[in-house]
Amino acid sequence: MKAFEYATALSTDSARELVADHGAYLAGGNDLLGLLKDYLVPGPDILVNIKSLPGLDKIEPGKKFWTIGSLVTVAQIENDPEIGKVFPGLHDAAAEVASPQIRNVATVGGNLAQHSRCWYFRHRDTVCLKKGGDLCYARDGENRYHSLFTGNSCISPVVSSLATIFASLDATAIVLRDGKETRMSMAELYHRAWENPLAHNSLDGGDLVLRVEIPTARSRSSYLQVSDKHAFDWALVSCAAAAEVVGGKLKSPRVALGSISPVPHQVEAANSFLDGKTLDDATASQAADMILAGATPLEHNGYKVPMAHALIRRTLLRLKG
Amino acid sequence: MPSWPANTKYISQSTQRIDAPEKVTGRARYSSDIQADGWLYGMILRSKWPAAKILSVNLDKALQIPGIKAAVTVKDFPQTIRFYGEEIAAVAGASKQACLDALRAIEVQAEPRHEFVVREGDAIKDNSPQVWEGTPNAPAPRVRETGAVDTAFPECAAVIEGFYSTPVQLHNPMETHGNTISWTDDGVTAWASTQGISSVRDGLAGALKLDHSQVRVITNYMGGGFGSKLGGGVEGLLAARLSKEAKAPVRLMLTRFDEALAVGNRPSSFQKIKIGALADGTLHAFELENYGTAGIGAGADAGGGGGGADIPAPYIYKVPNTRVKQTAVAVNAGSSRAFRAPSHPPASFGMESAMDDLAAKLGMDPLEFRLKNDSNEIRQREYNIGAEKFGWNEKYRKPGSSPGVVKTGIGCAGAGWPAGGPSRRTQGEAQINPDGSVEFRLGVQDIGTGTKTVIAVVAAEMLGLKPEQITVKVGDTNFPPGPASGGSTTCASISPTVYDICDKALQQLQTQSGIADARGDNWFAACKKLGVTPLVVPGNWIDGLSNRPAYGVQFAEVEVDTETGLVTVKKVLGVHDCGLIIDKLTTESQINGGIIMGMGYALYEERVMDDLSGVVLNPNFETYKLSGIGDVPEIEIVLLNMPERGVIGIGEPATVPTAAAIGNAVFNAIGARVPSLPITPAKVLAALGKVPPPTVSQT
Repeated sequence: MKAFEYATALSTDSARELVADHGAYLAGGNDLLGLLKDYLVPGPDILVNIKSLPGLDKIEPGKKFWTIGSLVTVAQIENDPEIGKVFPGLHDAAAEVASPQIRNVATVGGNLAQHSRCWYFRHRDTVCLKKGGDLCYARDGENRYHSLFTGNSCISPVVSSLATIFASLDATAIVLRDGKETRMSMAELYHRAWENPLAHNSLDGGDLVLRVEIPTARSRSSYLQVSDKHAFDWALVSCAAAAEVVGGKLKSPRVALGSISPVPHQVEAANSFLDGKTLDDATASQAADMILAGATPLEHNGYKVPMAHALIRRTLLRLKG
Repeated sequence: MPSWPANTKYISQSTQRIDAPEKVTGRARYSSDIQADGWLYGMILRSKWPAAKILSVNLDKALQIPGIKAAVTVKDFPQTIRFYGEEIAAVAGASKQACLDALRAIEVQAEPRHEFVVREGDAIKDNSPQVWEGTPNAPAPRVRETGAVDTAFPECAAVIEGFYSTPVQLHNPMETHGNTISWTDDGVTAWASTQGISSVRDGLAGALKLDHSQVRVITNYMGGGFGSKLGGGVEGLLAARLSKEAKAPVRLMLTRFDEALAVGNRPSSFQKIKIGALADGTLHAFELENYGTAGIGAGADAGGGGGGADIPAPYIYKVPNTRVKQTAVAVNAGSSRAFRAPSHPPASFGMESAMDDLAAKLGMDPLEFRLKNDSNEIRQREYNIGAEKFGWNEKYRKPGSSPGVVKTGIGCAGAGWPAGGPSRRTQGEAQINPDGSVEFRLGVQDIGTGTKTVIAVVAAEMLGLKPEQITVKVGDTNFPPGPASGGSTTCASISPTVYDICDKALQQLQTQSGIADARGDNWFAACKKLGVTPLVVPGNWIDGLSNRPAYGVQFAEVEVDTETGLVTVKKVLGVHDCGLIIDKLTTESQINGGIIMGMGYALYEERVMDDLSGVVLNPNFETYKLSGIGDVPEIEIVLLNMPERGVIGIGEPATVPTAAAIGNAVFNAIGARVPSLPITPAKVLAALGKVPPPTVSQT
């Protein structure tokens, strides 16, 4: 393994400076260390420990929005009783991430910035499109875990559970880029992966996720996923829905799905369709049809269509309380 | 004729594992924990091609990495590679990182061969690339025929045809394969993670051209093998050669990645079954065409274990008219090895699925259908006991008639394990000291099933002592030889051996001490009379105290979400027999483990290979999915204690019927058959006809 330096940054500015052009930020390390051990990314010159950056490990409630620092662990979210009340979907999404041991060290920033789990990308001896090769092996190969939608030739999906629920809550990631704070919606945070097979998200080298702001405008939220197993398994499909419910009618509803597209899958037309509607099975089903229209199932992932349909209906109906 | 005592204090009762404190506190030193003086790490370079000719390997740059003390190649060149992950070279060094760096520094000149095949269905075609050049991948099927099948089918009132398949399953023991080996002028000492210390000793001695007396194998604690750790393996030979070259002990434990490639697996099966019954439900005709793959070939390095792709058919049933055609098809993948009840779980899944499909066609309750067609008296008893406990009659509904989106279903299946009997050559000895302490020494190994505890329980019972007063030493080829722990033979081998040792010890103690009955309260007084010389008593397996085979039935209850396809196992009931139960607690533990493993086979486990690159895509626990604690249902166990049959092993039958019972429960819930393991949400949705076809590629 290429030798690298290790430094602990005490401010975001020094973190950015230390990481320079060929460094990597180290927080929970779940994804980064795996990538390095499997030689899936070029070895960095320096690992910059950011766990000591001040202020980024806090969950801060607010009237209009809550702020969640990028160093907040997934376990912190899961175990915060107020989050369970204000953003129940966020609690449920956090509780589904990996195992308790991983949730204890996994951070919000790391969860959002994690790389593809495609088993061709993660394999040490395949050079797939995402690793700069010529070919997406999954397209005509073992694509049971892959995308129903994509804007490019790579069909590896985004798997961040937090991105799914954040998208439904219309949360914003604040990213330190070129010395400035840049605000990105979840759609923007992943957009590059939609069009560029090499990208896992829209972050540039040296970009540092600082925090996520979640508007309180949607007091109802829900999250569901289905995995092959009952715990400690990736979602085959995940789905989040959030809205305000006024007089039995949805207000500003948003639905997002994970693991079926390189980006959190959102269809604005379906959100508009649901706005002002009273939820019932037929409405939820109609929305699900709209959200999944245009899906292009491959040989082994067609099951995701009915699965996603069920999850959309269920997450929506849960908003009724 | 010897016989087991009728009224027992420890036998057939529950005794906690005598080594439980060591295990739970971490004091137990497993083979992978051994740190011999001056030890080095060892690691293996594997082929990244599924088929290739290795022209040359240059180790120079690897040897220049700081900390690297030795490097060897596996074979002379050219070396023909036939599967992804085949061993090419190995290094030993002072740190893990040095070894990893050295593996990357090894220069390999190779001609990759683009003609390879990893799918059974492709490999069996006439125009397939050949795994072994010049030899068809599949030999002509062997055909076995009884009665008159072709005239029997028209005589049936109901006939079904099905195509049932099971995947390649990986052993994935928690402790990976490997050894620490020290090769000095005095010979070889191997601390092996093995289920057969003698077979490892003989294998290493043979390969290294040493006398058996120059090789000592030690296995104090090991973390599971399930049939795949009967030999020392390529990794054992490499560790020995590296040790000789480096003049230091080498610990070469495989990685989890390695485990998926070259240390065995359970062959797949593709079973085309046609089965028919007369109007009264009597099975009348059966036809099977089956093929499966054992990788490049079955049973390589199995050290006495099987691992072929053939399955027993029509499994535990007797059908008067049968035709069975089977063949094994080679693919470019690692060899199979014996795997916990070799060939039985796939046989059970195919046949028991077909039984329920036929019962449905006949409109019969599948349990009633089994009772009608399974002539085995012990299984009949087990089905009846199980049905009562499980509430079969109250719970049973016709397939698919469970209401609602989340449907419940129940199923059952039976097992028959022909082995489980003893190895008749088992020997052992006890040293009885004048202070009354006693040590049993047997050259077996505890694969994790509680072998040491079994020895302590039998000895305590026979000598009138407590199990904790018995010191047990196993896992050393310097002790009198015992069998490998395979075929569920260990318990039936060692229990009569310990009986014999105790019997002889008591006779000698009587002679030497003059005390008529040296047991229990008299023990210490009798031992004291030995003076200053301990008594060493050899013994061996004796007839009349052990037996075979074992049977067993299981019932499963599941919930199936018909919109997401998710299967949740709510309950499994196992009704099992293993003759005389020695320790109830470790017996139940075997059955729990068997059911949990069987559930993994039913719902999660599958080695996935890529057609285009030939690699194993899931060489890790992220995507090679094993039952986790969140998946494990309520497990209830009913044991039939049959002292009159003698001691029989239980390790293997316990895992045989689980997948079939769960598969049948899923069928009962949704009214559609998922004919292929593992039963994933994707396959459930497909069986329900909910999956849209692939979009035609736009390219």
